[in-house]
Amino acid sequence: MGAVAEEIHEPHVEEASYKERTRRNRLGLWLFLFSEIFLFGALLAARYYLWGDTRPELDQMVGLITTSILLLSSFFMARAETAIGHDNRKTFMRSLALTALLGIAFLIGVVGVEWGGHLKPTDGAYGAIFYAMTGLHALHVFSGVILIAIVWNRGRQGDFSAERHWGVEATAVYWHFVDVVWVFFYPALYLIGTAA
Amino acid sequence: MNDKKKADYRQGIIVFLVLAVLTAIEVAVANYLDNPGVPLIIIALVKAGLIVQFFMHIYRLWREESH
Repeated sequence: MGAVAEEIHEPHVEEASYKERTRRNRLGLWLFLFSEIFLFGALLAARYYLWGDTRPELDQMVGLITTSILLLSSFFMARAETAIGHDNRKTFMRSLALTALLGIAFLIGVVGVEWGGHLKPTDGAYGAIFYAMTGLHALHVFSGVILIAIVWNRGRQGDFSAERHWGVEATAVYWHFVDVVWVFFYPALYLIGTAA
Repeated sequence: MNDKKKADYRQGIIVFLVLAVLTAIEVAVANYLDNPGVPLIIIALVKAGLIVQFFMHIYRLWREESH
């Protein structure tokens, strides 16, 4: 028994245990994201069913700018993960901060600007679908920003290394998933159909 | 900076540029085609595939990595 307990504290055993935990965590995260597909997929289905080949009149420039901002944030998130994978802490911290700032800019664009337009939640199917889609997505962006802030704070305290950064990977995968959702929402809201 | 490190950073830049170009194509398709629905959904699927493969690293689910 004593020999087993001693063995557990061997560095290579700990490393193997960390790898195994990461493998399980990764599977769990992807299963969670898979369940999220049904949520966002249902909203997309509702959009195509209720709007058909039409869409509300929205500010195209706001749509393109917010899409570009989210795309850029995904790039910096990927850069942050690459950086910590190479123990480049400076680039990691900077990229993470930029990702969060771009996420906040996206929220300002959607919630602060687009929601202030002429379309209201009470404007029938157009308003209901638009606010449900952008609202639920914005909630995910907001929670992603919170996760990034937590990871940034842990990074500031010296957490994470090239070998151990599951927290960074999980946050990155979640953030990119939020971007993937917008990849489908952007054409559905702004580009497909004739503006009514 | 070693070659692996350079390649990893370069990959992120290339994927981002491809995604940016595809977004520009989306806007062009929406403006120039009468019925852009199907092409736009195809482009969105390509963009999502790139993000899932190169940014979300879905292959890590079945391939061992160091972290």
